[in-house]
Amino acid sequence: MTNNNRMNVAMGLITSVALFGLLAANPAAAREPFTKAELEAQQKALLDQVNHGRDLWHGTLPSMTTNGLACGNCHPDAAASNPQTFPKYQANLGKVAPLRDMINWCIMAPQMGKALDVNGDDMIAMEAYAFYMHRGKKIEPGLATEQTKPVVVKSGRGFPWKGSGVGYDK
Amino acid sequence: MTDFDKMSRRDFFTISGKAGLATMVASAVGVNFGMVQVAEAAVGKGKVTPFRFAILTDAHLFSQPDHKFDAMLEKAVNDVNNMKPLPDFVVYTGDIAQNGKDDQLQKGMKILSKLKMPLKVIPGEHDWYLDMGAAWRGHFGNPTWSFDHKGVHFIGMNSILVRDFWTKAGMSAEERMGVMEMLESPIAGPWGVREEQLDWLKKDVKNLKSDTPIVVFTHSPLWDYYPRWNFQTEDAPEIRGILKKFERVMSFHGHVHQTVYNKIGNMGSVGTLSTSWPWPYPDVKLAHPWSQMNRSDPGNFEDGEGSQYIDLESNFTAMHHYKPFGEMLTPTMKNGFKI
Repeated sequence: MTNNNRMNVAMGLITSVALFGLLAANPAAAREPFTKAELEAQQKALLDQVNHGRDLWHGTLPSMTTNGLACGNCHPDAAASNPQTFPKYQANLGKVAPLRDMINWCIMAPQMGKALDVNGDDMIAMEAYAFYMHRGKKIEPGLATEQTKPVVVKSGRGFPWKGSGVGYDK
Repeated sequence: MTDFDKMSRRDFFTISGKAGLATMVASAVGVNFGMVQVAEAAVGKGKVTPFRFAILTDAHLFSQPDHKFDAMLEKAVNDVNNMKPLPDFVVYTGDIAQNGKDDQLQKGMKILSKLKMPLKVIPGEHDWYLDMGAAWRGHFGNPTWSFDHKGVHFIGMNSILVRDFWTKAGMSAEERMGVMEMLESPIAGPWGVREEQLDWLKKDVKNLKSDTPIVVFTHSPLWDYYPRWNFQTEDAPEIRGILKKFERVMSFHGHVHQTVYNKIGNMGSVGTLSTSWPWPYPDVKLAHPWSQMNRSDPGNFEDGEGSQYIDLESNFTAMHHYKPFGEMLTPTMKNGFKI
């Protein structure tokens, strides 16, 4: 370590300790980050995106297919989409790719549709749905040689189409 | 046993022709359903003459011309036609159509008419809920049937019947079909064969001796695999109850688009490969995990699909063989397995 680096580390430690002391001495500054109402609003925003993603997943955007197939044909409940294994090497893409690239590959190849804007709201919604259905799964980038499964959902009724959430039953 | 099993081919078309224009089209393309030979009073232990039958299922044909699923069904038909020995007959276990449209059913019939052997058909939910089975019945007749062949009693039933969710909700036929097309649909609820077919089944097997070999076909599994995706039949316990007097029952089902085996009591159940796409395995611990196929390659559209055939032996054991388009069978299953 050079002298400059040693100096930077020392300054960082001093700053951290000083900041911690300030917070400890002034508990009013350590408020809960969000109120209950704020958290509920955030959860709603998330589930709105998840629900939008679920709709797209099941064919509500015509541009995503020209042959009638939707993501849900092969991936009910987003099963076997394996979002927790991305980024990983995709043989069909010939590179390490994020989930959104695989989503667009599925749209363009099996579904013969038009790819989504990778930075657009629709892609965020697609990812939100896939990840939400795999919540609690261990993150293991690069391991998808074995089929993985979605969060188990018991009951034959499924989740409500216009409901309050995805992946659980009333 | 349904009456048409005792009819000649000419008789069958005469009767079914009254169903309307759709059936006349069926006749025109030469689909030979209802043509399985009936061997009366020849069922029972030790009376099975070894033979082969094949199963095709879940083509999910779209209306679009030259859709890739058309070619996949044609490929499976070609595979069956080139089997040695040839199957005595083929059973189609549901979902010819994707959206229940008559043109989709007719396209399927045209492709299936190329089979060299007789064909029996049961419906899937994708065939049924646009017009509540009107077009399907026009083409294929009664979805509930039985026949005897070389010592074995074969049964087919419609297992995709749900309670009315559309009338109160004011849904159109297209909306009703849309609900049923979604595997994880929250609206439709569980499928079943329901009271009328249960009563029919009781009568159908009433006079059969307990050593009669029984094979039953349904679209959905006759065991509680994964209800969320209707990998189940709600009144399967009643069906198994009616059939429990028999020494051995074999059940073959469509819908799951995957290899899977299960056994409950005297009933061995086998899932079938589709010709459209493979469904993933749900998060359920299989009692026979060796029957699970490898994960299919998404870059190979034909991987995970195919057909299957069954060789029945004289003692009513059977070797089940999956015949996939790609290489997705585990070594355990490559040479078939005993049911």
